[in-house]
Formats: sequence, C-alpha cells, structure tokens
Amino acid sequence: MTVTDQTTTVVPALEARDIVKRFDGVHALNGAQLSVRPGEIHALLGENGAGKSTLIKVLTGVYAPDSGTLWRDGEEVEFPNVRVANRAGIVALYQELSIVPTISVAENILLGEQIPSRGGVVQWRALRRRAREQLNRIHQKISLSRLAGELSPVQQTMVAFARALATDARVLILDEPTASLTDTEISELFTVLRSLRDEGVAILYVSHRLEEVFELCDRLTVMRNGETIVTKDVADSHIDEVISSMVGRSAGELYPDRTTVTTEVALEVANLDGRRVKDVSFTAHTGEVLGIGGLAGSGRSELLRILSGAQKHTAGTITVGDTTLPHSPGVGRALDAGIALVPEERRTQGVILGATIRDNIALANIPAVSSFGVVDGARITDIVRKGMADLKIKARSQRQPVGELSGGNQQKVVLAKMLARKPKILLMDEPTRGIDVGTKAEIYRLIRELAAGGTTVVAVSSELPELIGMSDRVLIMHEGRISGEVRADEADEEMLLAYCYGKAETDDHDA
Amino acid sequence: MTTTRNPGLEDPTDVRAIPRRSVGQTLLASGTVLALIALIVFFFAMRPDVFLGFTNVRNILYQVAILAIISGAQTIVMVVGDFDLSVAATSALAGAVASSMMLGGTPVPAAILVGLAVGVLVGLVNGVLVAYLNLSAFVATLATLTSVTGLAFLVTEGTTLFKMPEEFNNLGQGRFLQIPLPVFIATGISLILWALLKYTTLGRRWYATGGNAEVSRLSGVNVRLARLLAFTVAGLVAAIGGILLAARLGSASAVQGEDNLLFSVAAVFLGMTVVRSGAANIIGTLVGVAIIGVMSNGLNILGVNSYVQQVVTGLIIIAAVTLSSLKTRER
Repeated sequence: MTVTDQTTTVVPALEARDIVKRFDGVHALNGAQLSVRPGEIHALLGENGAGKSTLIKVLTGVYAPDSGTLWRDGEEVEFPNVRVANRAGIVALYQELSIVPTISVAENILLGEQIPSRGGVVQWRALRRRAREQLNRIHQKISLSRLAGELSPVQQTMVAFARALATDARVLILDEPTASLTDTEISELFTVLRSLRDEGVAILYVSHRLEEVFELCDRLTVMRNGETIVTKDVADSHIDEVISSMVGRSAGELYPDRTTVTTEVALEVANLDGRRVKDVSFTAHTGEVLGIGGLAGSGRSELLRILSGAQKHTAGTITVGDTTLPHSPGVGRALDAGIALVPEERRTQGVILGATIRDNIALANIPAVSSFGVVDGARITDIVRKGMADLKIKARSQRQPVGELSGGNQQKVVLAKMLARKPKILLMDEPTRGIDVGTKAEIYRLIRELAAGGTTVVAVSSELPELIGMSDRVLIMHEGRISGEVRADEADEEMLLAYCYGKAETDDHDA
Repeated sequence: MTTTRNPGLEDPTDVRAIPRRSVGQTLLASGTVLALIALIVFFFAMRPDVFLGFTNVRNILYQVAILAIISGAQTIVMVVGDFDLSVAATSALAGAVASSMMLGGTPVPAAILVGLAVGVLVGLVNGVLVAYLNLSAFVATLATLTSVTGLAFLVTEGTTLFKMPEEFNNLGQGRFLQIPLPVFIATGISLILWALLKYTTLGRRWYATGGNAEVSRLSGVNVRLARLLAFTVAGLVAAIGGILLAARLGSASAVQGEDNLLFSVAAVFLGMTVVRSGAANIIGTLVGVAIIGVMSNGLNILGVNSYVQQVVTGLIIIAAVTLSSLKTRER
C-alpha cells in the first residue's frame, strides 16, 4: 500500500476518471468517476440501467471508453482487452456468465491463462491441487472432476468465485454475487471477502441489496443515468439518502396510483406442478396487477412460462374466465384463450432485433391482418399505427429496425405486439429490466392503464420495490412453491425478502 | 478434508458417492455404443461366415481409415463450437496438388509437404474468416468449399490424375503385418488428436471456448486464436486424409471423397452422444466412424442396394441423436 500523505490520501488501486461511453448515440456512461482503494470493499450502487455494468466492462477491458482515463496504482493504463486487465490484477465475476458447463470444475477454476503446463501439456495434478486450494479458501467441497454444468446454481457461483480468487486478483469486481445464495452462504462469502480485504485486495461490490452494502462495505458510490452521483464512507451514509440518490426522485412519483380491482376471477390456477414449480395454486382478478417475486431459481419465471404455454406442466389446471385450458396447451392455444407473455429476455425472446417495428408487431398478429392466407398491408399499418400511438413508441417510422430503439422502446414494441391480440391475461417477466428510470415510470403507467381497462396483469420481478409499487397483490415463490401472499399496500421489502427465503413458512424443505 | 459449515452446499453426488467411471463403463452407458454393438451382432448373425472374418474386418478398417482422419479434423472444429463444410474439399485439393506436383517431377516428400501446406492455408483462411472477421462458420466454410473445389478442378484440369510414383501409392495401398498402412496412419493421427484435445493447454482451451465462449473470453482465454488454430489444425489433418486417399486410389480428382463431408459431421454428432458433457470428442467420433463403416460394409455383404444404404445411414443417425437428446432432456 502506497500512502502519499499522512492523512487519508491513499493511491487508489483502480480509478476511473470522466468515463464516457455511447452505444448508438445513447450515453451509457456520461462522465462516470470511480476510485477503489486497496484494502477496501467499495459498493457500486444504482438502478438497472444506471451504467454500473457498462462501467465494470470498461474497467475490465471488455469495452473501450469513448473518452476518459483509467488509473491503476496511480499510473494511467489502457485495457484493450480482458487479458490485459487480468494481467494488471483486475478480475470481474459476473452473475449470469459464470461457468463453462462442458468442462470440469478444476478447469473452470483455472480457466484463462493459469492452466499449469509443461511444454504445452497440462499438468493435471498441479491443476487439481491449485483448484482445490482455491475451493478450500472459500470452504467449498465440490468434486473437481465433475462437469461444471452438472452443479447446482449455488455451486456454479462458488466455482466462478474460486476462479476469480485463483487469478491472484488485486482488484476484484463482484456483480451481484449473492443473488442466488442463502443467508448462511452469504455470511460465509462475506467472511472470505473481509479476509481478502484485510490482505489488501480492493473489492468493488455491486449489489441491489442495500442491507448487505451497509453490513459489508467501507465506502459506496452511487450512479444514476451514466453519471456518478456521490462517493462517500458507508459510516457517514444513511440508507434513505442513498435510495433517493439512486432513484433521483421518491418512489411515489415512479408508480401510478392503484385502481379498483373487481372480485371477478379472471385466472384460476390449481395445483400446478412442473419443472421448478410445485403445487402452485392462486387466483387473479379482472383489473388486478398481481406481482410475483422470489429469488433467482425460485420458479417464478417457470410459472409464467407454464401459464403462457411455453413450458409443459405435469399436473394441475389453468382456467381463464370459465374456460379450463387443455393440459399443456402450447403457446398458440394459450394465446387463443387470452393469455399473452412478455418474456424476460427481450432481445432474444421478445423481439426480432433486425426486423422492423412493423414486422415485429405483424408477426404476432398474422391471423388478424390476413384473409384467406394473404396478408393485408393496410390492416398491418392500422394495427401498428395504433400500437405505436397507444404506447408512445419513439421511432422514426414503422419501418425502423427494432434493434435501433432504446431498451424502453423495444419493450414497448413487445407490449404492442401482444396487446394487439387483446389478451385477457397479460404475463410480464421482468417488465422493466434494462430500462431507464423515465421509461420505467411510463411502463408502470401502461400496466396500470391496462388493469383499469379490465386486463389482468401477472408480473414477475426480482426487484422488491417494483413488486410493491406496481402491484395490487404480491405472491412470493420459494423453491417452486408459493411461500407468501400479501396485499401490496401492506407489504414492505423486509417481509417480502423473508418470504423469498421461505422463512415465513414452515421449514419443511423437501429433500 | 475441511469440515463444511453449511449443509446446503454439500454435494450428495461427490466423488465418494459416485465412483469414477472407467472409460469402458462410460462407453457402455451410451446408447450409441450399444447401437454399434447391436449392428455388429446383427450382421454377424446374418453372415457368421463372412462378417467377422479377418479379411472382412481388415476391409472395414481399410474402408474407414480415411473417414476417421477427416472426422478427426471435423472433431477439432466442432470442439470449439464451429463446423467446417470444407474438410472434404480441402482434402481433395491437397491430394490433387500433391499428385500434380509428383506428375510434374517433384520428389514425393516435397510434393506431400506442399499438399499439407495447402491444407494449412485453407484452414487459416477459414479461421480468419470465422474467428476474426466474424463470418458464420456455415457461410465462411461453404464459400471456401466452393472456391477450393474450383481450385481442385483447375489443378486437375477437370480430369483424374494418375500414374503417380509407386512409393507414393504404396502409402495408401501397402501393408505392414497384413494390415493396410492407412489403418496405422489413421490410428496414429487419432491418438495424436486425442492427446492434443485431452492433455494440452491448447486442447483444454478449445473445450473451454466451445463450452462457453463468452465466459472463456472474460476469463482471459484468447478465444479468437483458439478458433483460428482449430480451423488450421483441421485443414492440416484434412490434407493428410486427402493425400492418403489419392495414394490409396492411385488417382486424384477434384471431387474424390466428397461423401466424407457429411459422414464426418455425422460421425462427430454420433460421438457427441457418447460422453456426458455432450461435447465433440475423438473416442466418440471413432465410434461414429465405426457405426458408419460397419453399416456400409454389412449392408454391402447382405447385397443391399447402395441407395438403400444411404437411406438407412441417415435413419440410423437420426435415431442415435434423437435417443441421446431424449437422455439429456430427462436430466
């Protein structure tokens, strides 16, 4: 550690100054600042779309910044690619991209440039020994010879973490490392992180969970809309003030007022069983926004997929109005019955990026725009014009490729194509993922307008404030079952989080 | 062993619970290997006098030796998650170039080296197109397939080259200990590729790249270089196969060995069903090559029309791959 001053001026292990990064003319980062000191755990906070992920990718050489500089131990550096950043001791652990499924755990841990070898031949013993050392550092007993793809999600996270440790990182960047971990696992992870910090490693910790940040971190930086809003000591911070600097406005302005929910049952699900879904029963009413929460892997997305007909179920019934759907109806018949899904992965499941707005909307509505198998261009124009006007889609014309639009406008195209079918039940998986705050508010308003118009909206979200703000009622799933149900106006995040961990229910986990 | 403080993480299927399976056990667990055994039993039952006789087994090995080499090339490319439609065309071009140089008076070893260099060059071009210019493997190798075949026609002037030196033809037609030389060469190359994939850092990087290119890239694996090298090695191996084919036939034409393209892809696909990871691998590929070879030979012995053979080969591939995808879906 180099101290240049008797006071607290420490040379940062990694510093980013005035980073600007644009994609297709849109600012993802607009003068972002970050400074991580050796021997500290530094939280990077901000809403989805605030620019955290882009900043991390600039720090690790994935993206080159349009302007701005990076400094490593006080010297200006450039990271043209990931390997150069790795060699400089900077390692990122990404939440979703964690392992190579088809190779062994040992190789996953030493993936990259550290495979021990002699004359190009892998030294398996050394490889296994070094992999084992890394697993021991985080107290994991995972068989080294198993294929990483056969591990549970938690174990996969641990393997990815062991890999980050194996590179002898001096700056460790962790993106939502606790997303799929239990409380015990989290506290164990924190123990490891603290001991690494005490060894002088700089840790940049990205999390949505503020309680964790206040428990673990030394300093925090808040980002919003691609800019750094504030950097300060955690000890001098208050949770409310951090939230308001993240959101830039109070929660009340983000979410519209709730509307009246009828008592008419629009959707009835009884004893639904399927992959990751166990004995789920619930009803949703006409005009209701029903939020579904739960940790990653809790079965919340699978439940929506089953309801939309995209995934088979093994038992149980789905009833829309007074029509019970046939067993595992398939997407076509679910749509005919009035159930439409706005999927989680917008860019791969929701829209065809290379196709125009017009074609994307027309594709989902071919029966409505054709007669006797012939497509009627005028009817497409009408439907698309209406959809674009209703949802205020910002585009040059109907014929602009969807890939050129912002995330929020892409999501509106997905909505438009589904709404053109006039669904009774609209399923939405992560309705505002990757959308900026302004458009988020618009999406919430749209959801509320749909509900007021008599549509039933069932929306899955991993963000608890969103669940509470947009819904009338919230169901929480844990290990495939519904572990809690609560009226949104009576819910708070702590309560929902407890349900997420299955705590409020009895602890009878099935073996 | 350290004690684990969180029971939730204990892995019930850890090493101690599952004894490590030997290669033999792994192979037997796969439906594809059972299919091969069933085929052998079936043909043996139909023609016990002929099918497993020394001469016929030698025939089968001789017939599949070159396919095994070309399939080895295809395996490498499929390990990194791509595929190469130009392997058979590259092999024909390499054979044609070497043959034409020999006919022009170039010494045999030099002509072979030039043929191999042609293969490396085509592989390099494929690799640059796919890994560095980001063309899809389908488009890039389809394009090189077309151009390379054209080049082979230019080299052979549209004819079939023959009357190559005796010492060259001996490489493909000679025997050692009653076994044809191509069988030894194919075995040697398979061993080398197997070791390359299993024991070298390059091979492990290939597997990492094919398993998840993005994770590998973010972990610091040079994914582009890995893919470039895979195509290059495949080009070299394909050239070996093509030169050997010319020696075996004693002739070289622009289109010889065309079948090897589809059969090599089929063999690798069949082989991917043999291992748990579902990744391309040499042992599995050899099982696939054996299925194709045994079937073609057995149907020949039974006097089945060769067009019918082609239909049956396709059906067997569909059956094997379907069975294995059912197996993975259950997991």
